[in-house]
Amino acid sequence: MYKAIGIICILIGCVGWGNLRVRQERERIMHLRIMYRILERIRTEIAYGKHTLPEICLILTEINDMCYGDCFRHIYEAASEGGSGLPELWKAEFQDFFAGQPIQEEERNAFAGLPDRLGFQEETGQAENIGQMAAFFLQRGRQAEENCENRTKMIRSVSILAGLLLTIWLL
Amino acid sequence: MCEEEILRLFPERIRRRWQEVAKYAEKLQEIRLRAGAPLTIFIDGKERFVNAEGQIVDRQEVAARQESAELEEILKHLCQYSIYAFADEIRQGFLTVQGGHRIGLAGQVLLDDENRIVNMKYIRYLNIRIAHQIKGAADPLIPMLYERGRVVSTLLISPPGGGKTTMLRDIIRQISNGTAYGRGINVSVVDERSEIAGSYLGIAQNDIGIRTDVLDGCPKVEAMMRLIRTMSPQALAVDELGGTEDMQALRTANGCGCRLLATIHGGSIEEVMQKNYMRYAIEDGLFERYVVLDRAAGAWGIEGVYDRERKPCIRR
Repeated sequence: MYKAIGIICILIGCVGWGNLRVRQERERIMHLRIMYRILERIRTEIAYGKHTLPEICLILTEINDMCYGDCFRHIYEAASEGGSGLPELWKAEFQDFFAGQPIQEEERNAFAGLPDRLGFQEETGQAENIGQMAAFFLQRGRQAEENCENRTKMIRSVSILAGLLLTIWLL
Repeated sequence: MCEEEILRLFPERIRRRWQEVAKYAEKLQEIRLRAGAPLTIFIDGKERFVNAEGQIVDRQEVAARQESAELEEILKHLCQYSIYAFADEIRQGFLTVQGGHRIGLAGQVLLDDENRIVNMKYIRYLNIRIAHQIKGAADPLIPMLYERGRVVSTLLISPPGGGKTTMLRDIIRQISNGTAYGRGINVSVVDERSEIAGSYLGIAQNDIGIRTDVLDGCPKVEAMMRLIRTMSPQALAVDELGGTEDMQALRTANGCGCRLLATIHGGSIEEVMQKNYMRYAIEDGLFERYVVLDRAAGAWGIEGVYDRERKPCIRR
């Protein structure tokens, strides 16, 4: 009886771990989509609105997905009220925010390093530069989406297999 | 004007150096930063220097020198790390930051085929002009700016740094709110360089009165026409007249029944009349009052107020 309960628990645990990994993969795709949308919005606001980055942060506070809006609110408030340096604020805020998120280091650094790409004296050039960054996230997102189904199947199979192997080994 | 506002002009990393200077915020007029040259400030019209410890000193030999890299960092900070958003201002050689402070820029300009300035690079000279709103600066003038309860068209004349914009700002505030000499009227402000209202995110940082509308960052001539058409002003305020087109637009505004409040560089009415476009306007009686300002003239800097015939209303 105990053995049967143990086997079920192990199997549920392994399947649960697999599901967690699958969910993380989907969350990563969602992050990449949001980051792409944000960068596109920044590009548009620069190209057509000629807004400064703090102003764009204020505009972006309306984004409700995954707490990004809160990050932009913090940056805007600190930059406009405290007069602190924007690059440091941006980096610190997003390094903190991304700390527990299922995105890759390269993506994390690229997004957190956005202020390093500012410095153009002309809005079209600046917008194009941000556009290149957006294209990077779009490409990453597409790749992740294409691989998602196969990876999901693989993770689920591996988790079930791991559960079975663990059960056999314990028996 | 507070210490914090001065410190916020600089990136966090170098703010410590400016803490002592910021204590003189009320009297601070200019901060001049030139690559490789001593850090220079003007307090109460006197030139002083800042040393490496941030102390204000009188001798330039002991003053700290401005590094080029730091100058670029300051410029980026002033532009909120969004230099593209200030491209037009940089092209014109100045930018206005939160609080209405005006930053003059100099470096190397890039010209197009028709010798028009398309951009500026190697910006190595910054002149930070600290904006001061002095409420009540126009108090001695106000009685002379009304005739039978209505505001008269006024031209403020002074050399650069003579307090024209400060005076104009206070006149706008008072006639907009209403005074003992006349009720408040709708005033439209042409704020091409964001100096009068000091607008930030479209909101005036200075108190310019409750019946005042501001068109910020728009070239003067277009702004005047636009405001007359859209905001139906009873008075139109414009800073630093500078050409025939400006005068044409002012004449149009005057023809629409608007009272004019304007400023121009000059030491006296005679000096201003040496400019052709101004001579005709003055002779035609476009303005009903001329206020000559000069910092040397003591309190509020009013040297003289003259009527339409250029006869003194008051004179020091």
